[in-house]
Amino acid sequence: MPIEIPKDKWPGSIKKVTLGGTSAEGGTRAKSVTVGGETTLPYLHFEAPTPNKPLIAIEIKSHKPDDWSPLLAEIWGDAMNDPARWAQKAEEAGADLIVLALTLADSPDDAVKVVKSVLGATGLPLIVWGPGQAEKDNDLLVPVAEATKGEKLMLGICEDKNYRTIVAAAMANGHVIQARTPMDVNLAKQLNILITDMGLPADRIMMDPTTGALGYGIEYGYSVMERLRLAALQGDAMTQLPMIVTPGFEAWKAKESKVGEGVPEAWGDWKARAIHWETLTAIALVESGADIIVLRHPESVKRVKDTIEELVTV
Amino acid sequence: MQHTISFTHNEKQSSVSVPTGTMLSDAAHLAGVEIGQPCGGQGRCGRCAVLVTGGNVRRRSTLRLSPADVEQGYALACQSVVEGDVVINVPPQEKIERRLTTDRVVAEVTVPLDYDFDQHQSIHRVYLELTPPTMEDQTDDWARLQTVLRTQANIPEVICSLHLLQTLGKTLRDGEWRVTVVVDSDMEFPEKPVRLIEVFPGRVDDYSPLWGCAIDIGTTTVSLWLVDLVSGHVRAQVAEYNGQIARGEDVISRIIYSGKAGGEQEMRQLVLDTINDLLETACKRVKARPEDVMKATIAGNSTMMHLLLGIPAGSIRLSPFITAVNHPPVMLAKEVGINIHHEGAVDCLPGVASYVGADITAGVLSSGLEHAEHVTLFIDVGTNGEIVLGNRDWLVTCACSAGPAFEGAGVVNGMRATQGAIEEVWINGETFEPTYRVIGGGKPKGICGSGLISLLAEAFLTGVIDKAGNVNLMAGSSRVREGSHGGEYVIVRGAESESGEDIVITRVDIDNLLRAKAAIYAGFSILADTVGVPLEMADRVLVGGSFGKYINVEKAVQIGLLPDMEWSRFEFLGNTSVKGAYAALLDWRMRDRITEIAKRMTYVELSADNSFYDAFTSALFLPHTDMSRFPSVAEALSSKVEGRTSD
Amino acid sequence: MALSGIQIYKLLPQTNCKECGFPTCLAFAMKLAAKQVELGSCPYVSDASKKQLAESAAPPIRLITLKAGTEVKAGNEVVMFRHEKTFYNKPGLFVRVKASDPELAAKAAKADAYKVNYVGMDFTVDGFAVEADGGDFVGAVKAVRNMTRRPLILIADDAALLDSALSLLAGESALIYAANSSNYEALADVAKKYKAALVLKADSFDAFADLTQKVQAKGVEDMVLDLGGKNLGEWLARSTQARRLAIKANQRALGYPTIFFAGQSGPEKEAVYAAQAIAKYAGFVVLDTFTPELAYALLVLRENIYTDPQKPIQVQPGIYEINSPNADSPVLVTTNFSITYFSVANEVEGSGLPAWLVVTDAEGMSVLTAWAAGKFDAERIAKAIKGFDVASKINKKRIVLPGHVAVLSGELEEELAGWEIRVGPREAVDLPAFMKQVLN
Repeated sequence: MPIEIPKDKWPGSIKKVTLGGTSAEGGTRAKSVTVGGETTLPYLHFEAPTPNKPLIAIEIKSHKPDDWSPLLAEIWGDAMNDPARWAQKAEEAGADLIVLALTLADSPDDAVKVVKSVLGATGLPLIVWGPGQAEKDNDLLVPVAEATKGEKLMLGICEDKNYRTIVAAAMANGHVIQARTPMDVNLAKQLNILITDMGLPADRIMMDPTTGALGYGIEYGYSVMERLRLAALQGDAMTQLPMIVTPGFEAWKAKESKVGEGVPEAWGDWKARAIHWETLTAIALVESGADIIVLRHPESVKRVKDTIEELVTV
Repeated sequence: MQHTISFTHNEKQSSVSVPTGTMLSDAAHLAGVEIGQPCGGQGRCGRCAVLVTGGNVRRRSTLRLSPADVEQGYALACQSVVEGDVVINVPPQEKIERRLTTDRVVAEVTVPLDYDFDQHQSIHRVYLELTPPTMEDQTDDWARLQTVLRTQANIPEVICSLHLLQTLGKTLRDGEWRVTVVVDSDMEFPEKPVRLIEVFPGRVDDYSPLWGCAIDIGTTTVSLWLVDLVSGHVRAQVAEYNGQIARGEDVISRIIYSGKAGGEQEMRQLVLDTINDLLETACKRVKARPEDVMKATIAGNSTMMHLLLGIPAGSIRLSPFITAVNHPPVMLAKEVGINIHHEGAVDCLPGVASYVGADITAGVLSSGLEHAEHVTLFIDVGTNGEIVLGNRDWLVTCACSAGPAFEGAGVVNGMRATQGAIEEVWINGETFEPTYRVIGGGKPKGICGSGLISLLAEAFLTGVIDKAGNVNLMAGSSRVREGSHGGEYVIVRGAESESGEDIVITRVDIDNLLRAKAAIYAGFSILADTVGVPLEMADRVLVGGSFGKYINVEKAVQIGLLPDMEWSRFEFLGNTSVKGAYAALLDWRMRDRITEIAKRMTYVELSADNSFYDAFTSALFLPHTDMSRFPSVAEALSSKVEGRTSD
Repeated sequence: MALSGIQIYKLLPQTNCKECGFPTCLAFAMKLAAKQVELGSCPYVSDASKKQLAESAAPPIRLITLKAGTEVKAGNEVVMFRHEKTFYNKPGLFVRVKASDPELAAKAAKADAYKVNYVGMDFTVDGFAVEADGGDFVGAVKAVRNMTRRPLILIADDAALLDSALSLLAGESALIYAANSSNYEALADVAKKYKAALVLKADSFDAFADLTQKVQAKGVEDMVLDLGGKNLGEWLARSTQARRLAIKANQRALGYPTIFFAGQSGPEKEAVYAAQAIAKYAGFVVLDTFTPELAYALLVLRENIYTDPQKPIQVQPGIYEINSPNADSPVLVTTNFSITYFSVANEVEGSGLPAWLVVTDAEGMSVLTAWAAGKFDAERIAKAIKGFDVASKINKKRIVLPGHVAVLSGELEEELAGWEIRVGPREAVDLPAFMKQVLN
């Protein structure tokens, strides 16, 4: 009995976003990377190949974080005290990009300095996050944006409250914006509209839909991403942006990863569980359309990279 | 090349010579003719329309003009370019405002064509001549009256109150056995006894008014119409904020308040006070007394009805959301506490469910929706936005909590649509300076619902606020400033306002308005989805509510309150609830139809799943997150951008 | 295809007789469209309408139930994406044991005894797959059956061997793995004899469609498909295609749940393989490795993916720390509707001010809605404050209520004796200013 395989033909596609300025563009990156460009739901090769495979970023911080899991402290060791070295180790661990998270302790001068030192230590494209408070983000990201013109960084995290200042800085200095909204298709789209209304081209924005972790709301993030991707393919221009997700941040917040003691025996081995937690959180998001996956543990990086490789191989 | 432009304005002539390509508005300025341009010459407000009576101009945009207007020669001075000699007639401003295609003025109230007092009214007034008693004729007064009612008025059975009996003897004798009686009969059940309301001595002129009143108890606004039942004419229309507002802005707060010790009694008294004050005011206008009013027909949402009658309303709020009564029986005014004639009937119209009350059944009746051949959308924009979708075959309805913003409440400088309210606003897209129109023309006191809609649309189109409603503090105008609740925009500076204080719209006000419009739009979309009928299929959109006397459909569409359709498909009906009550007051057949409508309507619970929330967040943007639902707004925005670059 | 409310309404008598328990025929039609009532409640519907409605309501993927002391179901799915409605039957997690494995009983026992609690629910594995790999298969089945009450999958291609094994499982519904075009007749006979479900293997959808029809002709209705595939990408494609064929193309010959073996590329990849299978439509997932940490992660993922997305989005009630609060930081109260929680948490987080955020169980409603529905009242708030032992974390017994529920402060003072009740702003956006100016 002959069966015809139903194939979806979509009117829309995801925009391509390129990060990292090489010397040709006035930057210092060894190479630039491009994500996006998809014309189908994730990895459906019988419809179209995956044009740009999802990339892995490793998150490092400008100061050694005191609230990270001991498992992470153990694996990164001393490098956590030196962002430049940490970035190098991250590159060795297989990162395609580095995320450098600034902290409240940084002054604008510190911020510029640490960004420069990380840029000096690795040739990978860089994503820079402010400490996550609107005012402080603006204080730090504006000078960083100005001091790194040509590097084509991604600046985050831009939210509906503080978008104007960060977007203006990105626009003036050729950077890309990470636009974060709290787990809602409409809010994601609205922020994209507000940002593009300011004049930043859509191919310089990545959506960060906020995902939650395994066991902590990942189903919402998962569905929001599926819906965003579907809307994009159906031709809704304001959802046609590639997505960056932060399963490392999300999963390592969870008790399952963070702590080894005082948890139920049925949770099993701590380290193995922590890696499962980060990996499965990431895989669920890879399946629903993530383009840049920000992780924390090198073992998870390896597993997620292997998985992506398998998914894009026809 | 130079061209001569001749203007006629206020019966004065002037002319000017200008080169090809001059904007008509600039030519007028040079000729000393001032044409109002509230929107700053962006072709949005249509207030600069002029009549081209000779020669021709190139119209860059005719956004606010109908094809018929253009045909007649109208052009927007700010959007028309001189290309030859022309003769221009500048019409008076009021004339322009009346012809703008987007403004919908409330339909006038007219007495139903076939209204016949004798046939359709349940209240009757009958002149009777009794034979005086004698030593031979010892019949008692009451039996004597009953007899003539039977023989002269064909009323076989009549009942009356003790109070009437107490005064009957005196009235009969004062009138020398000639009296006029007012009776209330149930036309639907002619077998039921007729109730005697009042006996007047002597003959009352057949054409003198016999008063009834139609009342709509809104959560925010109470409206009362005083009606001459003989002619059917509405003689006075009055409205005031519901006195219960002080105890909570929405029905839920009121229910909870009424559940406290003494709360029920207090709530009841508050609304009775509002109604009785309105009654007094209306009666004064026609030089009548409240006790001359023989009947009151009341529409209102289920909660308002319960609170008016002092019936516990707690069950309305809690799942499974059941009312104590959807269809109260007819009661006497003295029981209810309304100061019309104490023997007069108070008829509370029937509702459908906890959140779809008599206001909406009455609204369906007065909107004519139940007879519509094609799918029609009816919205009553009040504190609860009630929506009905349907036609003569089916009717579905839902209610969404919009809040009181569109009635001017819950907004810092909001007010009802009365004297002193700003009812329309334009903002100049270059300078961000506003122009506004005030009801009554005096100094502004505040902004009413239609003014708020207009203001929101203008602020959005000019970039004073972004699509999420954030005030753009970088706009570079002193009208935009940081207030105590975030950004705000100053519409009227203290020097020009009635109170001497600035009239502003704050970020919180904008949020309230956005939420209100989003709730209503989400209601439409979910209701349409639930029955599987696309919203665009709606042939007509009937809009009811107390925004003011008119609504600018274009602006309501621009903010995403109303769906984007041709303006001609909208009808603005004003307060449909009180209109329905008026129809039921006049004509017992209409009263029966409301009961039928209540039985036919299918209620959809919006909060049953996530889809409402999704539709709501989607609508919580200007005009909507999904711009493809608002093509005309997208066009207006892109022409604005083009306009900017061409300048 | 599913019909809309109006389409169904047109098939009903339109008399508004109310005998179905709904006020109007349209109300009943909308409930039918939402699959919340049965057509049988309408006494007057015509036979023609009945037929049409039944066709539109038939599930595109057959429901398969494996049963022993416990039950596991697969199939009956109606959507490609969980947000479109929901995924209904969680894929059963089975642990494979091999007949030749001397540790078989111990391995099964460990997995069988496994139980883990996740937000108040107890999760376990669903059953075992016993594979005939040269050892004593019947003995192995017997050993496993003595060990567990859970349903079994029997992996063997010898019909006689299966017959003996199945004879030990009287009254159960097991799953036989697997029939192909050359052995289906014998296996179908065994399946029929023991009312077992049968897994089919084929290398194309054409072949699957032929095979399901042939097996059906042999009297077996309960089938499961093993789609094969050399790697994750290929299996994803096939699984997506199978689901589309069943749901969108209404291909009844392919309307069966699927089975997936997660250990096929080695234990390193097993977690990821199983995770994809859970997210992407598998009906049964077979694991080769059992460890508590793997089982826990997969069971939680499965629960998450199969949660009904139509229910309001909730966050876990509890006390949340924002910006590392200490004993002098304020305590703010809100509901567990996720958007409400997010807007409050984000405003406070963004301000840099430390605070404790108490999230009450308001059944996932926003402050106003919950208050309106009686799910956010003084009693519930007091219960949360006591239940989360807020007092132990702070020096000053003081809580801040959302401004929208200022009316609750009086009652709360009674419920929470000794606490100071403060009324905060109505909008989250005003919280930072309130915290700076009023609370200090």
